[in-house]
Amino acid sequence: MSELNSQLAADLPENTGVRPQWLKVIRETGAEQFRAHGLPTRKDEAWKYTGLGALGLAEVRLATGLNTPAANSTQPSPLAEAGLQLNLLDGQFLELTGDLPPGLTVLPLADALGIGVDGLQVLLESLSVKQTKGASGQGFSALNSATLDSGVVIHVAAGIDAGRLSLIWSTSMGEKPLLFNSRICVILEQGAKLELLEQFESVDNNANTTNMVMQVDLANESNLQHIRFQQETDNTVLITRTEVSQQAASEYNYFGFDLGGGLVRHDLHISILGAGAKSGINGAYLLDGHRHVDNHARVDHFAGGGFSDQYFRGVASGSGRAVFNTAVCVHPGADETEARQSNANILLSARAEIDTKPELEIYADEVIASHGATVGQLDELAVFYMRTRGLNEEDARQLLTTAFCKSVSDKLADPVLSEVISQRMMDVMPQAE
Amino acid sequence: MSSMLKITNLHATVAGKEILKGLNLELKAGEIHAIMGPNGAGKSTLGNVLAGREGYEVTQGEVIFNGKNLLEMEPEERACEGVFLAFQYPVEIPGVNNTYFLRAALNAQRKHRGEEPLDSVGFLRLVRQKLEVLHIGDELLHRAVNEGFSGGEKKRNEIFQMAVLEPTLAILDETDSGLDIDALKTVAEGVNRLRSRDRGMIVVTHYQRLLDYIVPDKVHVLADGKLVATGGADLALKLEEQGYAWLEDGGIATLNAESAVPAANP
Repeated sequence: MSELNSQLAADLPENTGVRPQWLKVIRETGAEQFRAHGLPTRKDEAWKYTGLGALGLAEVRLATGLNTPAANSTQPSPLAEAGLQLNLLDGQFLELTGDLPPGLTVLPLADALGIGVDGLQVLLESLSVKQTKGASGQGFSALNSATLDSGVVIHVAAGIDAGRLSLIWSTSMGEKPLLFNSRICVILEQGAKLELLEQFESVDNNANTTNMVMQVDLANESNLQHIRFQQETDNTVLITRTEVSQQAASEYNYFGFDLGGGLVRHDLHISILGAGAKSGINGAYLLDGHRHVDNHARVDHFAGGGFSDQYFRGVASGSGRAVFNTAVCVHPGADETEARQSNANILLSARAEIDTKPELEIYADEVIASHGATVGQLDELAVFYMRTRGLNEEDARQLLTTAFCKSVSDKLADPVLSEVISQRMMDVMPQAE
Repeated sequence: MSSMLKITNLHATVAGKEILKGLNLELKAGEIHAIMGPNGAGKSTLGNVLAGREGYEVTQGEVIFNGKNLLEMEPEERACEGVFLAFQYPVEIPGVNNTYFLRAALNAQRKHRGEEPLDSVGFLRLVRQKLEVLHIGDELLHRAVNEGFSGGEKKRNEIFQMAVLEPTLAILDETDSGLDIDALKTVAEGVNRLRSRDRGMIVVTHYQRLLDYIVPDKVHVLADGKLVATGGADLALKLEEQGYAWLEDGGIATLNAESAVPAANP
């Protein structure tokens, strides 16, 4: 690992000439932090169950700004129709198609830095501050800041309903596996509304690493529906950190579907800063082979009258390994908060492993909180019942596990998208061993 | 007419304990046989053994269904060959839509018979027709299989599944248990509508009440893992009057039932 850290540190770009000054500071702070701590290891509490050594990460080289995405790379076909579609290749803004509704701005990060977008500087600097708190274990964020350049800025003006924007991510097949950094900034002004549909699906079976940080700033009464669907290849490493700040009466609904990927880590962190904000955090992860999916979700309630609901379902077979850590902290003063956590898992093989850990800390009054985490097997009586009606054993098991995961996609408001995702889950549903 | 189902000297154990101890039964197409008996006689075990439930181990004997060895088949093969077990406690399957499940089951059976699968339009047409015949509303269709159903709804759903799957042999395992009189009538009416010359039924029940509405061709008494008496529909009434004490007080001779004879032991 130290070799990899040194290599990545050596690959870090020069900061001479970087403008504006505050950007230079962010990059330098990131670089300094990365040099000091490197990538996280199992010694970091938050990475206890997820080691980076297993995959080809050791061979990976840092992609620099010089890397030019091959524009002729095959792009995955979109999950669902969207008025506006943005293709990202190797973490970079490739192509935006469709009609840009008035009030919606979608720009490559580099352009946005040049032009200046309301709230962008504050947003970018805020991560810099967060990542220096408890600096160890945050090496990926540091690396991302140190190379801050590629990515996208999405801005929705006050009162605008911008509809659906699809973000389609893929990486290209190069001679060597590369690590791509990308930063997505989503800013919704007061009362603005957006649906972000992210799809991670590389067509080539490459061993690239994507290290993506998404920062979401939701002003009063704004509403973001965030769907993230990933069906990456077995060798792909996908590291994501999503930071969401919610002001009063804003709403954030997340739906994460992990159907692929070799090593997938997602840190989803929501800060409820304004009164009466609501968060729904839902996800399903399906694993077999040697896949490793680690979801860390955390909601901090800093303001009262907020509501958060975490609902995750997982299925693991083969030598699949799932880690699920869900935390809720209700801070002093965040009275009358309601927080729910539910995580249920099905293990289909003796070699598969699921580590689930709910955490709940309450320092406020009049709080309603519930949490539950289970790991179990399929209901054998239900399997028998289905077989007595004519379904073969394999189909019966598949139907049961799909139904289990479908309880997540059923929560999507769009029935077409819900159906597409449930079918995709059914297609890759792990089999019992 | 040859028998549709022939059970000979059936012995079965559950968790190492012998429950069925040499059961013999012959059922012809078009017949309804009732199996009655005290608690713990092995009534539900018989249904589970015939359906192929894991953990119900047959140690002796054979079951021939339409000329085939039923005990060699997987549960789904038995279903595809036309065996249907209406569960005493229908299983809840959260998240699996009732209509979707039933279409998948029917199409699995059709595939087995070399028939084309029914598309959703064709299936819905069939479902509507069956619901009408059974006088069942369509509210159960849109829910997950048995999830949150009342006892009566679960039993009606079993009968509805049976109507759609059109089995050759239906085994109703204590379908009357836990039903109030109205639900019992609905279920019995459904069963009667499914009576046909091509279909055999075994109605397993603890109480005679159900047999007021489903009149059987034969009534068998199952006690301690064997059939000990066989009679006509009137035997059920006698059992209701006299209970099962005669089993220990000298056997069939002391039971005042004209049609009852010791069960046939081939």
